[in-house]
Amino acid sequence: MGTVQLFPEFISQTLGLSGVLGDVVGSLVAAAVVGNIVLAFTGVAGPWAKRKITAAFTDRIAVNRIGPFGLLIIPAAAVQLLAKELIVPEGVDRPTWDLAPIVLPASALLGFSVIPMGRLGPVNLQIADPEVGLALVFAFASIASVSLVMAGYASNNKYSMLGGLRAVAQNLAYEIPLIVTAMSVVIFAGTLQMSGIVAAQTDVLFSVGGFDVPTWYAFVNPFAFVLFLTANMAEIGRNPFDIPEAPTEIVAGYQTEYSSAYFVLFYLGEFVHVFLGGAILAVTFLGGASGPGPESIGFLWFVVKIWGFFLFTQWARSALPRVRIDQLIEIGWKGMLVLSFANLVLTAVIVGVIA
Amino acid sequence: MQRKQRSTADQLVDEAVTALPDDAVVSREVHENAPAVVIRADRIRRALSVLRSEVGFDHCSCVTAQEYEDRFETVYHLTSYDDRTCELSLVVPTTKDDPVSESAAPVYPTAEWHEREAYDLVGIKYEGHPNLRRILLPETWQGHPLSKNYDRNQSQIVPLSEHANPIKEDSRQGDTMFLNIGPHHPSTHGVLHLEAVLDGEQVIDVEPDIGYIHRCEEQMCQQGTYRHQIMPYPDRWDWGGAGLLNEWAYARVIEDLADIEVPEYAQVVRTMSAELSRILSHLLFTAMYALDVSGEFNATFMYGFRDRDRVQDLLEDLTGQRMMFNYFRVGGVAWDVPEPRDEFFENVRAFTNDLPQKLEEYHDLLTSNEVFQLRCVDTGELPAEVAKQYGVTGPVARGSGIDYDLRRDDPYGYYDRLRWDVVTEDGCDNFARVLVRLREMEESAAIVEQCVDLLTDWPEADRTCQSNVPRTLKPSGECYRAVEGAKGELGIYIRADGTETPARFKIRGPSFSNLSALPAMAEGEYIADLVATLGSLDTIMGEVDR
Repeated sequence: MGTVQLFPEFISQTLGLSGVLGDVVGSLVAAAVVGNIVLAFTGVAGPWAKRKITAAFTDRIAVNRIGPFGLLIIPAAAVQLLAKELIVPEGVDRPTWDLAPIVLPASALLGFSVIPMGRLGPVNLQIADPEVGLALVFAFASIASVSLVMAGYASNNKYSMLGGLRAVAQNLAYEIPLIVTAMSVVIFAGTLQMSGIVAAQTDVLFSVGGFDVPTWYAFVNPFAFVLFLTANMAEIGRNPFDIPEAPTEIVAGYQTEYSSAYFVLFYLGEFVHVFLGGAILAVTFLGGASGPGPESIGFLWFVVKIWGFFLFTQWARSALPRVRIDQLIEIGWKGMLVLSFANLVLTAVIVGVIA
Repeated sequence: MQRKQRSTADQLVDEAVTALPDDAVVSREVHENAPAVVIRADRIRRALSVLRSEVGFDHCSCVTAQEYEDRFETVYHLTSYDDRTCELSLVVPTTKDDPVSESAAPVYPTAEWHEREAYDLVGIKYEGHPNLRRILLPETWQGHPLSKNYDRNQSQIVPLSEHANPIKEDSRQGDTMFLNIGPHHPSTHGVLHLEAVLDGEQVIDVEPDIGYIHRCEEQMCQQGTYRHQIMPYPDRWDWGGAGLLNEWAYARVIEDLADIEVPEYAQVVRTMSAELSRILSHLLFTAMYALDVSGEFNATFMYGFRDRDRVQDLLEDLTGQRMMFNYFRVGGVAWDVPEPRDEFFENVRAFTNDLPQKLEEYHDLLTSNEVFQLRCVDTGELPAEVAKQYGVTGPVARGSGIDYDLRRDDPYGYYDRLRWDVVTEDGCDNFARVLVRLREMEESAAIVEQCVDLLTDWPEADRTCQSNVPRTLKPSGECYRAVEGAKGELGIYIRADGTETPARFKIRGPSFSNLSALPAMAEGEYIADLVATLGSLDTIMGEVDR
């Protein structure tokens, strides 16, 4: 799919730069823009949208005092959180303890480097489009578990330790079904390249009353979609799988000892991971940035999709009880893994027969 | 289950006394609530085990310790789960010089905590007690605060070094980890400290450490005059909304002790407001339990508080308070329902009419949710036999299939003239306890509705809120009386010595006994189930620590 111009190339071309300098400047600017878009989402989601959404689910009003719709709570919360004292407990294992809160958001942000976020006017918001894009994004995302273990192990706190251990157990149990399910998409699309996967979902599956239903893999293989959605919830640690934090059981898990800026970084990292989870879901099952209207507003559709996923996580959080750690592992290894392999084999057979 | 008459209860007591070993009985006394037998301190365990195994006193409701001028005394208040009106007190005197008495803990496991408290506050030692150490006060405390030679003016400072780092060394036997859960932890429901030993995620051993909000409630009640100064305290044993039920516990015991009649009208008002109070408490449980099992940002939690608010509005209209009601008075209630009466009754009916729909919603969100069932069915198991040993009462006992409810089994107020059922579930697990409380709210609403009907039609000339009670009460005698609180059997023992204030005021908080069963329920389970099990007990530390 080399025909579509990527975001860094667009920038270097616009600036009239070429060669190594063009690549470097283009990439840096593109990364800064994409990173800031994602961080802006997080900034809106964390202090404001999340509160408003859960309030709507739970019959409350939530923030409404500062600014229109309470929106100015965002800068207020940022100032408040950053102004707090950073408490470093005795006996923490530095610098591991300091690195953990940086690794978590970094791993999620890295994942966005290969996500095709669609067009906005003339700009195609994708930083890179390597041929192993899907594998790469999973690799980036799973760095998160390393961060959680670092935090849990370095905090010198038993609750953190339990949280860290839970995080590893959970990620191991759900990453495999997640990736195996994603592989069924790869069989359909015949490529690991993100833009290729999106492009493979643009055909018309069938028409209902003049409305074309596209070949989004969520429609082609709803079973895989549900599997992927479930595994994704576990991967990002949201209800009913928020076991690594489980505030009523292990206080806050690996986060227990973090305050101030470090806490913000963790919080931020989790939100970026939720959005990354939404982005992967959108690319693999919901046709990426495609949607009604001209291609140049694709980015808006992409935003709608990842925010839709965010809404879904908040809904689950408001409504669903949390499973126990052993039940979680059981669901992962005995249920999801088997189902995802069944799905993979079935998809391979069907694709093999049809093709 | 048919209710036995008082006369059969008397027969049982006679039978009990004949069954006792001859050399054990010193003399007989009469307490206001029950006959009492004075037993030798070195024969008490024999006596108790005979009564438990042969006569059927399977419920050691409370253990009271007190000091007289010339002796110490331990009183075991025994009764039966099958027939609550059948009561017997065993009085065990010990000398001042050597206050040692046999421990009842091997016979009634519930006595273990009660005797620790007796040792802690009064200073009686129990021979053969498995673990006789302080329970409410810090280990380093000097003296026993409810004993006569204790210097109350001498302040005691518990040095920080006692609490500086509560993280104990790992008691490593194999791969276990010692974990302090609390006193500050999201799900200990107050300042409760659980000393847990974990093997991975599994709880091998758990020991509740209580006393963090011990506020000398018994001592304060002993300094208050019967007529007015004690009634505000029971509210403070339960801030979860069950205040009116607690007030009734004091009202009942003092009315029995001082022979005060309560006008029927006041009894109906009491019954109505008490059941609203119970709904308030059970709704809090539902909300908090959703929090324990689901985690924060949870809809059920907020729904619980939304619905509680309506009850609180009603009780505020009635009592003028939303939390510490202080509405009951000795001999009745403080004042009549608010004017305009019709509007108040309409509001109450509107709430009770809406309640079934709300409960349906809770069932949708909790009991019929598969994940919730996965978490709660067959976890925190408490077989009926074990529950009885630990003196477990209230919804926790009824969730273990024990058909025991003081409102029916030892009737007071207006309950015996209303139509309602005692709710029991046979699951013996967390799920059963949730079901019991959800279903009990329906019964409470039914009681409230009937009371409202009665009050609406009550002739205006006959609306007496309070009987004539002397300005100063100076009763004498000993009485232990209990009511069905939100958490279980809330009992109060008063020894009145003819003065204006009680000589001994002992509180049996239902959560105290219920909590003592936690290790039996949670050991061997996962830490997540420990939290769910603790939540299902619905303990409130106000009545545990007092």
